[in-house]
Amino acid sequence: QSSDFLFKFLVIGNAGTGKSCLLHQFIEKKFKDDSNHTIGVEFGSKIINVGGKYVKLQIWDTAGQERFRSVTRSYYRGAAGALLVYDITSRETYNALTNWLTDARMLASQNIVIILCGNKKDLDADREVTFLEASRFAQENELMFLETSALTGENVEEAFVQCARKILNKIESGELDPERMGSGIQYGDAALRQLRSPRRAQAQSAQECGC
Amino acid sequence: EYEEKTGRAQRPLSPKQNVRKNLDFEPLSTTALILEDRPANLPAKPAEEAQKHRQQYEEMVVQAKKRELKEAQKRKKQLEERCKLEDSIGNAVLTWNNEILPNWETMCCSRKVRELWWQGIPPSVRGKVWSLAIGNELNITHELYDICLARAKEKWRSLSTGGPEVECEDAGFSAADREASLELIKLDISRTFPSLCIFQQGGPYHDTLHSILGAYTCYRPDVGYVQGMSFIAAVLILNLDTADAFIAFSNLLNKPCQMAFFRVDHGLMLTYFAAFEVFFEENLPKLFAHFKKNNLTPDIYLIDWIFTLYSKSLPLDLACRVWDVFCRDGEEFLFRTALGILKLFEDILTKMDFIHIAQFLTKLPEDLPSEEFFASIAAIQMQSRNKKWAQILAALQKDNREMEKGSPSLKR
Repeated sequence: QSSDFLFKFLVIGNAGTGKSCLLHQFIEKKFKDDSNHTIGVEFGSKIINVGGKYVKLQIWDTAGQERFRSVTRSYYRGAAGALLVYDITSRETYNALTNWLTDARMLASQNIVIILCGNKKDLDADREVTFLEASRFAQENELMFLETSALTGENVEEAFVQCARKILNKIESGELDPERMGSGIQYGDAALRQLRSPRRAQAQSAQECGC
Repeated sequence: EYEEKTGRAQRPLSPKQNVRKNLDFEPLSTTALILEDRPANLPAKPAEEAQKHRQQYEEMVVQAKKRELKEAQKRKKQLEERCKLEDSIGNAVLTWNNEILPNWETMCCSRKVRELWWQGIPPSVRGKVWSLAIGNELNITHELYDICLARAKEKWRSLSTGGPEVECEDAGFSAADREASLELIKLDISRTFPSLCIFQQGGPYHDTLHSILGAYTCYRPDVGYVQGMSFIAAVLILNLDTADAFIAFSNLLNKPCQMAFFRVDHGLMLTYFAAFEVFFEENLPKLFAHFKKNNLTPDIYLIDWIFTLYSKSLPLDLACRVWDVFCRDGEEFLFRTALGILKLFEDILTKMDFIHIAQFLTKLPEDLPSEEFFASIAAIQMQSRNKKWAQILAALQKDNREMEKGSPSLKR
């Protein structure tokens, strides 16, 4: 299947918050209950339809342990979107959000679109972080926000799609330029076919400016 | 089917009986092939047609019989191969136990032993051989293990009773980090070989794995627990008693390559990747160029492989065979194995784009053919312009040091 755009996405957040399970649920529509912990990085990709446009997501699912930060940081470059994940039953994972956010804004593209995901929504009885509190944090930091459940699948697809939609909106409004280097956005194979010759020269000059 | 339902006319020489008499055994699949006559209420077939049908039927039976025979021969061959394999394992066990292990120091480096080693160490002596090959430079005793374990248990107790949160904040970031790593051990144990169901809560080796990782964080608080360790400890537990597994674990992690990775010394890790790329380009120039073109850097796949010594990404029996030779040849074998994997899949990898390569290498196929896999590793040359792995690595390290000295601003 061909696509109009290709977005690089990150999944970041503390260890054990369910990053890999969110990715697995998004791609396979199943909960993975015997998953390993991620060492380094794992990958997923999926083409989604957002408002009539086909967007291929290239998803980098990173290791969560603090110690791996220096390694995982090198994966941030040129990401267009990110799911920043915490576990609603663990305040510790919530408290770490600021660090993750700083890294993402600094190392990925400046215009990176981030959606905050309060995962394990199904474990409401063990909740340590309220929806209101996280929602405020999201507003203060200009993040989108959803509570998700990789177990039931609730809001999982929505998280990826909403993030992609916002990026598309920014492209349409001109706020994001897919032709700028390091935007984390590429034209997909379908778009490239339509796009030959006239705009090519323009793209070339835009790239040069980007340097 | 219709053709089989024929032949009632020739009652005297019932083809069914005729054919069956000639068979020395009953082919299984031909029990469905029964030549039957036309129902009695229909006129009989002309003799010519019946003859033709009989002939076709006989041909079918012959074909089926051939197939059956072939299958039977294949099964027999497989059985023979298995017996041969079991025999050779049995012989290897004898050789390891009676000849090699008693004379370890003198024999371990002989050509004969090295060759036998490459074939894979029999599971019953594997732990012993690993222990001897890894050695115990750190002079860890069983008593030291008990002491470290006791300390770890104390920590867990103080952690579970709640208490010293304020104290921790005073002690600063590293204490909090260390505490977090104790929590993380618990989390990761259940996520280590989950499909084996032996390290999970309630499983037979859950506490053993917990103990070894906990004891290690007390033995080496400067390293602590780093993800990936639980896989290494688990593989050792499967082959050694607890205290011996701890000794092997600590000494294994103390090796230069493992120290570089588990301390997450990013600069040094990059040096290892650079050395790897030298041999990558030398051995697989086409694939190397393809990876470069697609921005597929070695950190993307090597980190998982090196941190877990392939135990997470390869089937466990293959991983153990990689460990066998890793114990014999040291760190360079880890990188040789990586090149062996790339070589084995070179053709399909050359046709893939970034995301497919990345997905493929971070999730290798589960049915890797072991003999092809090791043949592919064997075909990798660990010499680049007459320089060996250690020389290349040392040269790159030296370059790095000089660069850092030259421009301190580059130092991170």
